[in-house]
Amino acid sequence: MQDPHSRSVRGAPYSMLFANLHCAALTVLLSSCSADLLVEREAQRAEEDAPAVPYSIVCVIHGDGDYLYHDTRGNEYKADVEALAGAKRVAMRNSRAEVFIFHQKPRKHFLFFFPLQDGEFYYYRNGRLIANELYWRDQGQSHFDPEVGLYRRFRSDDQREMVKMFLYCGHEIPEFDGAGYDASYPDRPFTVHDLADGLQGFTRHSARFDLMVLSTCFGSTPYTIGTLGSSARYIIASPDNLHLSYFDLHSLGRLDISLRDGDVQAFAKKFARLAFDRLTRDIQTAVSVAVFDVDRVQGFLQSVHAVYDHTLTTLQGETQASLPTIERCDCADLPAYVLPAMNKGVDVFYRPARFGRSKHKQNHSGWECWREPVLK
Amino acid sequence: MRGPEYFDAYHTTNKNHGYDINPTSSQLNEGVTMTARIAFGSIIMMFLLALPAHAGGKEEFQKYFSDAASKVRATESPAEKRAILSESFQTMSKALDMVQGSPLISKDDGIGVDRLKATLQEKQDELAGNNGYVRVPDEQLNAFSDYVVQDMEQADQIITISLVTLLLIIILIVLIVK
Repeated sequence: MQDPHSRSVRGAPYSMLFANLHCAALTVLLSSCSADLLVEREAQRAEEDAPAVPYSIVCVIHGDGDYLYHDTRGNEYKADVEALAGAKRVAMRNSRAEVFIFHQKPRKHFLFFFPLQDGEFYYYRNGRLIANELYWRDQGQSHFDPEVGLYRRFRSDDQREMVKMFLYCGHEIPEFDGAGYDASYPDRPFTVHDLADGLQGFTRHSARFDLMVLSTCFGSTPYTIGTLGSSARYIIASPDNLHLSYFDLHSLGRLDISLRDGDVQAFAKKFARLAFDRLTRDIQTAVSVAVFDVDRVQGFLQSVHAVYDHTLTTLQGETQASLPTIERCDCADLPAYVLPAMNKGVDVFYRPARFGRSKHKQNHSGWECWREPVLK
Repeated sequence: MRGPEYFDAYHTTNKNHGYDINPTSSQLNEGVTMTARIAFGSIIMMFLLALPAHAGGKEEFQKYFSDAASKVRATESPAEKRAILSESFQTMSKALDMVQGSPLISKDDGIGVDRLKATLQEKQDELAGNNGYVRVPDEQLNAFSDYVVQDMEQADQIITISLVTLLLIIILIVLIVK
């Protein structure tokens, strides 16, 4: 005789398995939802009792790529995870600032099929975490729309007397092409132009950022500074390779003390000096940090615009395979860029690599160029 | 698709052979537990197989030089330090030569491998004091090994090499070392 319970007995473990899977999926969904609810409540409470904040920091950390590095003891680190920890420390130490942190993560799937959100947002005000939620990054062309949306949702109403800063931590931002910047979106391009578009979103109804920190390799080309300069008064960038340990963010802590006088230029130089000192302690490759006074470098940028543009056009015509063979160099090594205005508005902290062919190069102009390929 | 009649017929046929195919509750539990175990095991295996493929490539490549640097620091003798560094360069160069001869790699990867070989040759030359380089002094060998790690971590030629080719290089290194 057929056991009337056999069907339910057979089905029970399957039901349990599926129930577990459902529970896990629900947990994932609910955890992201609950963060939203928490965010709304905390944000409302913060709005009600928070005093006006005089400092604002927007920090975008790109983590969707190869960001592994080793310290001198052989320990492994993920650059984006370290940068995130540093940004959170800065946020907690600033008792009179609002800090927006966007962590762009690799796209992952739950049980291979269910896509998980690939961005995580943190909002701190006056040293307190007010919001933490997962979000979907741009799935198409990247213009930072989701990040800008979150920024507008949480930013302080009183933007008038605020010192604003923007930080970007990631690999070199390409000047053209840009496909493959995000490992999760290999066909999607991301270029300096896309970042500039995103910055316009952040600064739409207000003045430029007072300070922009580009924690990337080759961040101070004439094109990059010229393009991003429309959104910032001062830019700190590295003309050469920048080790993945990035610029030290410690000096961004306690802005109420270090930036009390509101002198952004002096603060930028101090930030650059400390970042340089920190990098030279452990790094054997070249270390270079440059501070650009965007208004003062306009003369130089206009003088070299045509030359640099021509180089970029030439490079865009090159095959993908030959691009990596094209070298970078200090713009001062190319006669077309050696102009009286070259050093105007630029402060450079430079130490050559301890080894290699360039170890005897003692100075850097702060501007990085492409050595245009010789046409055969 | 087989309908309920098929199952009824099957059931009847087996009953006629003198044994009851209806399993007991414990047998059923055992079978179901087994199936659940297989399903769970398969999921775990898929995760385990997917992980190295995702994490491999560039990370393994970097680890190769980081491990060499750790060995250099762990050794007191400058001669041994030099030998460790030199061997790591030679093994990598050998693997790159073998990969380059493989029909599996694309033209783009070939260019990336070429550049990588040139970078390694520069470092070998500097270590030994060849080709216009001043030989790395004994007291700077630890720093030089760190320089190699850091330079390789930011080497854009590695970024341009495909994951498949990088994995192939790593496999070859393992085979050469063994």
